[in-house]
Amino acid sequence: MNQTGFVKTHFDLCTGCSLCQLACSQRLAGGYNPHRAVLAIRHESENLYHFPVVCEQCQNAYCMNSCPVGAISVNEATGAKVVNLETCVGCGTCAKFCPIGVIHVDPEIKKSRKCDLCDGQPLCVAACPTGALEFICPPPEANAGGDCHA
Amino acid sequence: MHDGYMGRFLMVDLGRQTAEPVPVPDWLKDEFVGGKGFGAKLLYDLTPAGVDPLGPENVLMFLTGPLTATMAPSMRACVVTKSPLTGTFLDSYFGGYFGPEIKYAGYDGLIIRGRSEFPVYLWIEDDRVQFRPAGSLWGKDALDANQAVKAELCEPEAKVVTIGPAGENRVRFALISCEFNRQAGRGGAGAVMGSKNLKAIAVKGSRLVRVNDPAAFNEAVAVANKDIAACGDCAALTATGTSFAVPWANEVGLIPHRNYQDQVDDQADKVGDAGQTKHLFLGKAACFACPIRCSQMGAVRTGKHATFITDIVEYESAAMIGTNLCIYDIRAVAHLVKLCDQLGIDSMSAGGVVGFAFEAAEKGLIQPPAGIKFEFGSVEGAEYLIRAIAHKTGPLGKTLAEGVARAAKAIGHGAEDFAVHVKGLESPAWGPRGIPGMGLAYMTADRGGCHQRGFMVAYEVGGRLFEDQPVDTYGLDKKALMLYGLQNYLAGTDALVKCDFGGFGVTAESYARLLSAATGKKYEAPFFDALGERIWNQTRLFNNREGFDPSHDRLPRRFVEEPLPGGPHAGRRISEEDMNFLRADYYRVRGWDERGRPTAETLGRLGLDKSRQFGAR
Repeated sequence: MNQTGFVKTHFDLCTGCSLCQLACSQRLAGGYNPHRAVLAIRHESENLYHFPVVCEQCQNAYCMNSCPVGAISVNEATGAKVVNLETCVGCGTCAKFCPIGVIHVDPEIKKSRKCDLCDGQPLCVAACPTGALEFICPPPEANAGGDCHA
Repeated sequence: MHDGYMGRFLMVDLGRQTAEPVPVPDWLKDEFVGGKGFGAKLLYDLTPAGVDPLGPENVLMFLTGPLTATMAPSMRACVVTKSPLTGTFLDSYFGGYFGPEIKYAGYDGLIIRGRSEFPVYLWIEDDRVQFRPAGSLWGKDALDANQAVKAELCEPEAKVVTIGPAGENRVRFALISCEFNRQAGRGGAGAVMGSKNLKAIAVKGSRLVRVNDPAAFNEAVAVANKDIAACGDCAALTATGTSFAVPWANEVGLIPHRNYQDQVDDQADKVGDAGQTKHLFLGKAACFACPIRCSQMGAVRTGKHATFITDIVEYESAAMIGTNLCIYDIRAVAHLVKLCDQLGIDSMSAGGVVGFAFEAAEKGLIQPPAGIKFEFGSVEGAEYLIRAIAHKTGPLGKTLAEGVARAAKAIGHGAEDFAVHVKGLESPAWGPRGIPGMGLAYMTADRGGCHQRGFMVAYEVGGRLFEDQPVDTYGLDKKALMLYGLQNYLAGTDALVKCDFGGFGVTAESYARLLSAATGKKYEAPFFDALGERIWNQTRLFNNREGFDPSHDRLPRRFVEEPLPGGPHAGRRISEEDMNFLRADYYRVRGWDERGRPTAETLGRLGLDKSRQFGAR
């Protein structure tokens, strides 16, 4: 039973517009660049298909397991696996072992960046014009004070 | 402070293989803003008078605007150069993902000069610029070349523009294929790229595009998105893209049929939204940061040409390759349009040129090779000609690759009577007989016969009011004044660089709000009219310098001498007298002299008399 909140993707609705990535990079880095976001879009077959690639907030998170300094922990409210920027040393081990490539060392701050579900109000979901991204709340019994059921 | 710009152009000299960033001066931002504005000023300043469009001295520019690459809805970028098809200023717009990537690499534009001695492509990764040999890419079609560049670089995330064989062969209406399914189509920018031995440009950037006031910008984006959500035309584009315009253009009597011999076609619906929904569409794709997602992606699944992936057949292509050539199997039309995209020729001009060739064959002026028919309705004939043009096969391929104006002159024997173009640009798919204001728009558009510089159709048959009054479709009065307003506003917002479809919804107030929040300066809605007028006059100065005068501001003979045989505007034409009235009225409204030149007073009013020269030469 998945006890975490996560962003569910619907590739059939994704148009590849990248607005989700822009909202993400603006929040994380203070400017627009989809390469600086912590979600990606794969455009395939001459643009016929678009696959949003979003952090699954794994229950068995390799990024968290592999971090040598314990900088990644679980946010109790949302279940998100969150990087503590004070602890992170920017070694990139997490990025090496994330199987879907949604955690990376930011070139500017030299620390790991990954999806933290925007504390329960994901901006990527809000920015998506088609509903291709959907925020799934953690089940109420797992939700210790998060406001996504409000 | 951040202002939405990156503050630098990348100046590339292909002959010397040098690339250096140069600052974007503040005065250029203030007076010309970006996109078309930058292009108008830079083309004038960076080229000598009479520059050969296919010579090393011509500049090929990929230009963004201050809102490109942000969350502002439906922004694009443009290619600006001197057109090898028309000899005029050329601005050709493209959506997709390449424009924003230029900014992410740290530039407001790429300015490319010179000619490489051998085929190359450019690989731009932030400050690192490589000139890479393109020998193995030469000859590849535009879409294959895109994939090949990414594969060679091991960079699936790079954004790439390419030319096809037609650009390599300098076909005068060759396009630049932009990532992805988007083309800088009109006017032959692909031939300019080919003349420079430049097969492709790949860009990937890590820089941030920052706006001045992020909170205010977010609010402005929300307002602009609301404009789009409230816009019926935008909703129609979301539903079926531009294909819905096919039945409409037919109903209002404007769709080209048989090389413009008529403006109605009783089979038009087959190549419109009805036919395309049934035979092509599967899902939707969007250009970068666009909520409208007008692109309907799909595939031809059945029939002779199956199976291949196709984007929507846009209105212009559906009409120019479909009704204009009397080809009504939308799967065949999609096949021919895709062929144009792969070979790298503008499908609008291709439809014009093939229609011209079919009529020339009908009149016995040209002959097809054995086994091929050049006649309206012949898919095989059209395909043969498209391939022959792109590869410049034989005397006929070479002749037609020059565009209808030059081809008609070469063929002679009255062929110029049915060569449908303005200043050499094959006419778009809105026949002007019955809508004289649209005729004037073609006569005066800065890049030759173009429908996107002032869409008078909206006033003349679309029900749009002017000064709160319905517009007299066939009347000539005030048409120049209406067009003046449209051209100015569109040129002003093409500096941003907006998409015309986003512009159906987003208001001038909303664009001003976006620009204010991005730059930190205060802009009001009328700014775009004034900016656009300055830009329009700057492009006119270029065209005047290159030898254009009132004799070029005219329509082709078919629209002037041949009354429409049928449809709602039966009997209509735009006579010499009509043209003379419209042209003179237009020059008067614009503040141009009788030779079509901006007067000293006009230049002074627009600040063009004391405008500095961009000093990068």
